[in-house]
Amino acid sequence: MSKIDQFESVFKAADKTPFQFERMQVNSVLLVTDLYDPDAAEYGEKVRLAFPNLGTDSTKWSCLDRALLPSVDGFLGEIKRLAPDFIFTFRNLLTPATEHPYSLGVHLDVMTQATDIPILVLPSPHREDSPELRTVKRVMAITDHMAGQNRLVSIAASLTPPDGELWLSHVEDETTFERYIQTISKIPDIETDVAKVRILEQLLKEPRDYVNSCRKGLADCGFKMQVHEIVTLGHRLRDYRQLLDQHQIDLLVLNTKDQDQLAMHGVAYPLSVELRNTPLLLL
Amino acid sequence: MLLLANTTEVSLGVTLLFSLLLVGLISCLALEEKIHAKKSVIAGSFAVVCLLLGAAFHILPFGRVVVGSYQPANFEEVEGDYVEPDGDRVHVDVESISDQSDPDTTTPSESAHEAHQAHHALHVDGHEVSMPVYIPAIDWGVIAIILGSSLFVDITSRSGLFTWIAIRVTKLSKGDPLLLLIAYAIMTVVFSAVLNNVTAMIIVGSLTAVSLSRLARKELLLGFLLIEGLLTNVGGLLTLISSVPNIIVGTAANISFVTFFLRAAPYVVVATMATLVMGAWVFKVRRLSTEAEKQEALQLVAGFDENDGIQSVMFFRFGAIMLGLFIAVIATTSVLPLISDLEMGFVALAFAAVMLWRYKSDVDQFYKAVDWDLLGFFMALFVVINVMEHAKVLDLIGVGVAKIIDWGDIGGTATVLISAAGFSSVTDNIPLAAMLAKILSSLGTPDSSALWWSVIFGANLGGNITPIGSASTLVAVTIIHKNELEMSFGKFVKIAAPFALLHLALATAYVLLFLR
Repeated sequence: MSKIDQFESVFKAADKTPFQFERMQVNSVLLVTDLYDPDAAEYGEKVRLAFPNLGTDSTKWSCLDRALLPSVDGFLGEIKRLAPDFIFTFRNLLTPATEHPYSLGVHLDVMTQATDIPILVLPSPHREDSPELRTVKRVMAITDHMAGQNRLVSIAASLTPPDGELWLSHVEDETTFERYIQTISKIPDIETDVAKVRILEQLLKEPRDYVNSCRKGLADCGFKMQVHEIVTLGHRLRDYRQLLDQHQIDLLVLNTKDQDQLAMHGVAYPLSVELRNTPLLLL
Repeated sequence: MLLLANTTEVSLGVTLLFSLLLVGLISCLALEEKIHAKKSVIAGSFAVVCLLLGAAFHILPFGRVVVGSYQPANFEEVEGDYVEPDGDRVHVDVESISDQSDPDTTTPSESAHEAHQAHHALHVDGHEVSMPVYIPAIDWGVIAIILGSSLFVDITSRSGLFTWIAIRVTKLSKGDPLLLLIAYAIMTVVFSAVLNNVTAMIIVGSLTAVSLSRLARKELLLGFLLIEGLLTNVGGLLTLISSVPNIIVGTAANISFVTFFLRAAPYVVVATMATLVMGAWVFKVRRLSTEAEKQEALQLVAGFDENDGIQSVMFFRFGAIMLGLFIAVIATTSVLPLISDLEMGFVALAFAAVMLWRYKSDVDQFYKAVDWDLLGFFMALFVVINVMEHAKVLDLIGVGVAKIIDWGDIGGTATVLISAAGFSSVTDNIPLAAMLAKILSSLGTPDSSALWWSVIFGANLGGNITPIGSASTLVAVTIIHKNELEMSFGKFVKIAAPFALLHLALATAYVLLFLR
């Protein structure tokens, strides 16, 4: 009955997830900062200028500055009360970034776990080598499973200006792939070379098909930016770092939520820890 | 090829012994799933035993056979050498043949019998070759059709043509369950007719599982698969090449492709419609009512990409053209010059050979995919039936069949149909069809007789009574189990019986009213 499986595979492969644009409603934006006024207000203005595509003229911007930043419990309560649609913040809130350069800080860590609101993590303004905020033109959305990521792509596209560029990237983990191929090579019933080629083809085909669908869907919705595809096999952390440098990315958009755990999932945590100079939008 | 008729006297004891072997074979085939043995192994084992016993009881016509002979168009051509049953070559002149078949001195039934005998005797100009007794026992024409068409269909399916059609049909339904059921039913019937029942069930069944899962309508899967399984056997009646019983009986009765289609099509249309109405009612398949539901279903089926399986547009087009040509040539084989002599098996093999050029350096993958179990089963089965013929078992069964036929035009024809359905519901319909075809031939049944159609309808539709009655219903049950749905033998019979009864009632009425 192997033919049943053959045809089922063909039909399953033909069953694709088409991109559907999900409009992001941003009625209120909250900046969470450990700066005091007027520095906090000035920083808030820089943020607005860097993200001209976020929200509309009627979007309400508010700021939770150092004076208003209470304990971790209290600040979560404050976020709940304000119920923003979008949060800007930076790592190492209330702690010197120089002491714990590779830490997100307890506030940000808790924020990513306790809320579903998109959090945009900016480079810490306290660091001396921190880059200046620049207007976002080049946005990259990354995932380890690109197909069906309507929200991720929609938000990334919404933050990309019409004259900007959007990269949709999917890096399939080479180490995991090789481990499976090693296992397959020990099973006499499966031809290793064929399996290697066919599995990789299919693994990369799905995100490619989805990116094509995104390109068409975004154009249909009136988006004018250039959409690029990066679908490859490689080492995620290393490759994403290279891609960010290579394309001078202004904003990286990635999923962090995992149904099975509170902590950030997959590649999100190491990326958010290591990429200290690139604004990250954690979904 | 001429296989010399057997005239050896066979004792009743020997005939009964071989009858028991035949019952054993049929029982083992019915219990194929229980004894975990493939058909080819079962039939092959029985063929070995039959040949050994046949040799031991001296009932097999060992010796040289004549090949390359031809049947002359008129008696003037007959004068020359021909071969006696004992292998002696003798001279025949026109007068001696004319005397044997003088229409003025024979009754109609005698005339038919003479014609049958002449079919064997009036072959001339062949040459004798030494060949094992089991080789000419096999109907190589049937084997060629099955091998050629399965290769052709397998390669054509790589072009993405069938999946393209299947997905287009799915999209046309807009995801509405009732429209989807109608679309899949029509597709099942057409695919069963053009390809074969098993391939049709595999294609439509696997698409059904995927598409209903996509539409979040898995509760309808069992009903869909069951209806499709039943319709494969209805669709399998549409053309001469749709099922193996059609090929065997149709070939024996000299029914052309076009005649077969024209006679079977009205029944297939009516039976399909009746099955759909009953199926939609039994399995509560309804149309979507709200606009929101319709929009959601439409979006879900829109995700299917019919072009995904097409690796080469050129090959896709080539496959479509070749499929059209294949159907056209098969349909007109009997009237095409040269091709009519080479027969349908040649057509199937020739089209397979052309398609193989697409994968010329990689053809072994298709050879591996050939259903050797099925081919082995047919070859072994033909050998067993041939031995049974020499052991006079078929004559014995023929006496019983003749008695049924004697019940009259209506009673005999209807009883043959119902009996054939009953037998093919519990065992493979192919040995049944092969055996009954041989018996009807030996009884001198005219080509125009409705009895041939009784066997065809009964053998095909009997498969709808039980899950083991036909290979395609077995595939349907396999897909049902693969999708973790419960379907026991009893449950299948309970659900399918009303449909099967409807099909048989319609078939009996149709054969009696229109094909008699």
